[in-house]
Amino acid sequence: MNPILISLLGGLLILDKYAFGEFGISQPIVTGTIIGAIFGDMKTGILLGAVIQLIFLGGLPIGRDIPPDSQGAGIVGVAAYFFLVNNNSAPASLFLATILGLTAALLGGAMEIYTRQLNGRLYHQFLKKRRRLYLFHYLGLGTAYLRGFLLILIFTAFAYYFIVPEGIPQINQQMLLIIGVGVGIANGGYLFVKKKTYIFFIIGGICGLVLLAL
Amino acid sequence: MRLGFTRLIKIFLQNLFIQTSWSFTTLQGMGFLTNILIGAPGDKKKVILDTHKGYFNTHPYMSAYIVGAVLRLYDEGKKSPAQIKHFITVAQTSLASIGDLLFWETIRPVLLITGVILGIKFGLWGLIAFIVPYNIFHLYHRIRGIVDGYRLGPDVIYLLNSARFKKVQQAFEIIGAFAVGLLLLLVQWKVDSLLLIPVISLFVSILIYRLPAVFYTILIILIIIIFAFL
Repeated sequence: MNPILISLLGGLLILDKYAFGEFGISQPIVTGTIIGAIFGDMKTGILLGAVIQLIFLGGLPIGRDIPPDSQGAGIVGVAAYFFLVNNNSAPASLFLATILGLTAALLGGAMEIYTRQLNGRLYHQFLKKRRRLYLFHYLGLGTAYLRGFLLILIFTAFAYYFIVPEGIPQINQQMLLIIGVGVGIANGGYLFVKKKTYIFFIIGGICGLVLLAL
Repeated sequence: MRLGFTRLIKIFLQNLFIQTSWSFTTLQGMGFLTNILIGAPGDKKKVILDTHKGYFNTHPYMSAYIVGAVLRLYDEGKKSPAQIKHFITVAQTSLASIGDLLFWETIRPVLLITGVILGIKFGLWGLIAFIVPYNIFHLYHRIRGIVDGYRLGPDVIYLLNSARFKKVQQAFEIIGAFAVGLLLLLVQWKVDSLLLIPVISLFVSILIYRLPAVFYTILIILIIIIFAFL
């Protein structure tokens, strides 16, 4: 597997974000599992996908609001880890891959704005040539694919060739999971823990601790 | 004219592309237009193209209810294009708010938390636990939306009070609260785990004060860097 192949695949997965279907296959927990399986380490793929998923649990695409690109972050973070770990230690790769994934979320959000401006031009072309409605509409698949492909390629190509210098911080899986679970509880709590439901949150917490102790 | 199976399938498949050309100019405008044109009778296509070539925005899954209702109105031919446009304006806002609340703020995050927990503990089961139930709800609304929209016409907006929306949302809120508590299961309890307390407190404050998403992401990057030095 190389950065071009993973970007071609990632571009397809990311179409699910809004351009086609929205079946949920672009969500980080799903792409983390898929990319992890491709690289032969599903467990780490799931862990990284899960952490990014929990971080962006509350990023809601409502109306004109474009939140950071959590789907792009998931694909970039997981794929970058597997490229980095070829030449570097696992904790250093984990640290850098997570940072790359989150940076990709920011850049992906900005690229999304540009893509949608480009789609606006397609609409103006349609107004001039109304018989070509379907052509200009489906060209939106091209703009969405290109955005995903370029976003993933930029970061995975970097990860593919990068050798981590000595002294760069490292993070282990447990520490990363603490951040993911902490932010996930904050996000989930904000969405679901209300006067009517807080008792279920407490029951869930107790069940979690009991299962952990078993 | 009847909805019919072939017509339903054509409209459903086109509905999967409703956001393909999403732009700041018309949002889902072109997607909505292609969706009603594919199911409209031949003699109405020109009028539809003239009337509905502008702005449209609703929740993508809920758009099916509006598409079904609009096709019913064009099939009957009792309402003018301006009246149909007025119905769309009203319906898109109501369905957007119910769809965002039901899917983006409830069903999807609940199933994602479930998928995360099961994924970390049991591998592939996490993916299955999210994808399968999520798409049962998703595809139900895409298909049933077209059918009910066509059956009820503009009255379809009264469905918003039905159990398929309210009861499901209430049930998922309870499951969501339970699943959020269950997330503690993922952390091994060592001294490091006490760091959960400041992380949760910090991000709850950020969410309550509704700080911008970009700021939120940058803050997480900084926290990861700080944790890496611990």
